Amino acid sequence: MSSTPPDSRQVQALVDAVQAAQTADDLTGAVEDLSACAHPMAIPCLIQVLGFNNPGAAVAAVDGLVAIGTTAVPAILANLDEYNYGARAWSVRALAGIGDLRGLPLLERALAQDIGPSVRRAAARGMGGLQPHGFTAQQRQELAERILPQLKAACADEEWIVRYAVAVGLEGMDHWWQPPAAQRQRLLDTLQPLADPRQEVAPVVWLRARLALHRLTTAAPVTRA
Amino acid sequence: MSQGTPLNEAQALDWLRQLKDSGQRYYAAWWLGRMRSNHPEAVPLLIQALAERGPRPDPVSGIDEPNPIARNAARALGKLADDRAVAPLLEALESSDDGLREAAARSLGQLGALKARQPMLRRLAPGPLVAGAPRPGSSRLMEPCEALLEALGALGWQEEDGSGTITDHEPLLAVVRAYGDHERPLIRSAAYRSLLQLTRENCWGEQLVNLLLHNELQVRRAALLDLGVTGWRPAGSAIARTLAENSLKLIALRGLVENSPARNQASLSPSAAEVELLVAMDDLL
Repeated sequence: MSSTPPDSRQVQALVDAVQAAQTADDLTGAVEDLSACAHPMAIPCLIQVLGFNNPGAAVAAVDGLVAIGTTAVPAILANLDEYNYGARAWSVRALAGIGDLRGLPLLERALAQDIGPSVRRAAARGMGGLQPHGFTAQQRQELAERILPQLKAACADEEWIVRYAVAVGLEGMDHWWQPPAAQRQRLLDTLQPLADPRQEVAPVVWLRARLALHRLTTAAPVTRA
Repeated sequence: MSQGTPLNEAQALDWLRQLKDSGQRYYAAWWLGRMRSNHPEAVPLLIQALAERGPRPDPVSGIDEPNPIARNAARALGKLADDRAVAPLLEALESSDDGLREAAARSLGQLGALKARQPMLRRLAPGPLVAGAPRPGSSRLMEPCEALLEALGALGWQEEDGSGTITDHEPLLAVVRAYGDHERPLIRSAAYRSLLQLTRENCWGEQLVNLLLHNELQVRRAALLDLGVTGWRPAGSAIARTLAENSLKLIALRGLVENSPARNQASLSPSAAEVELLVAMDDLL
């Protein structure tokens, strides 16, 4: 790609290439090119690709939507596919990657209710990746009070991959919450059952929870720009 | 066909006990395996069901496999870890129904039934052009090669009488290696998986990694799951890059963490190599 931002004609040509793709590989390549320009004009086409049942292309489309960022959030929320849980999982993944708080109600509903484990796991991870820009310490604390009980409840999810994602989400909360020591202990306490091989049956889950505990207790408090 | 599936263990046992409604028997056999029932009556009832032959009498059932109750019973017995199932499953391995042989082979592998090694090897010994030839008028092969190859890999090298390990590997490996040239990529994948488990030679892991680039999604999926079962860690980054659903890649990477011979079972913390795999998993959530 050239270093100058693409103009609308160039973006349209990339959209046309996605629409014209004849094979799964061609589609993936075309979506990768369109995603690389990270242009808001690409949003409708990228959202459409999420429903194509082509994992390679969907990964590329999610990357593109995440690169476009908050501008893409209203369109993603407006185009959720209630009947295609594959597509919904990709939408939740895109929202989780963007970290925009407007997506939070969707993440919450997905984690608590969605029948697809891939949707619940993306939602759990997304709660750890929120980006509450401009929030005061008080507002971040309130957000944490809202989210911590939901991740705690999801520790009892029957699918190992959702519990795994909860461990990742809890670790991620530390970054945006930046809790004082006493509050951080609540994060550690919530991780504890996932990290205990007597309570957690999947070794990969307790290994991940232990990695989270290790990082939260040995790393210096994270400071963010 | 009976509506609905049994709601609890007592009902599932009732459904399997009665002989009138074959639909109920079919679902009950599935349910008891799926729910890992440890009720004392479950295994004896499933063994009884394993002996049942004949098609479903009910044409609207939508289940068109022969001997469906016996097949479901065979599948369930593989999940219930009870040695009483071994002898009847060995018998099912000699059935003229290749689908029932397939279910029995998988379950014998899951049960670690060492007595199954020789009969399974005998089935495969005629080679990919005979045992692995297409069954006329069907998409299936003469023998359920995939299931047999995978079960042999799962059984490993322990002697049948438990007295130690087999020292002469070549006769078994020669049979399995021949299927590495089978025309169907799914059979090759099963052979490589088995060979990797039996020899830990990197060349078989590399063959599986090559299949991650196959142009059919179904083949890439199979290779992902096969790598996960072997726990062959050098495949980690190739798995993360594979064009397939993240759910399957996550299962494969979990396998690399948990099934690798390098995993220190006594350690409660992830090793450096395991942290690398966990980080790759995080990116796929």
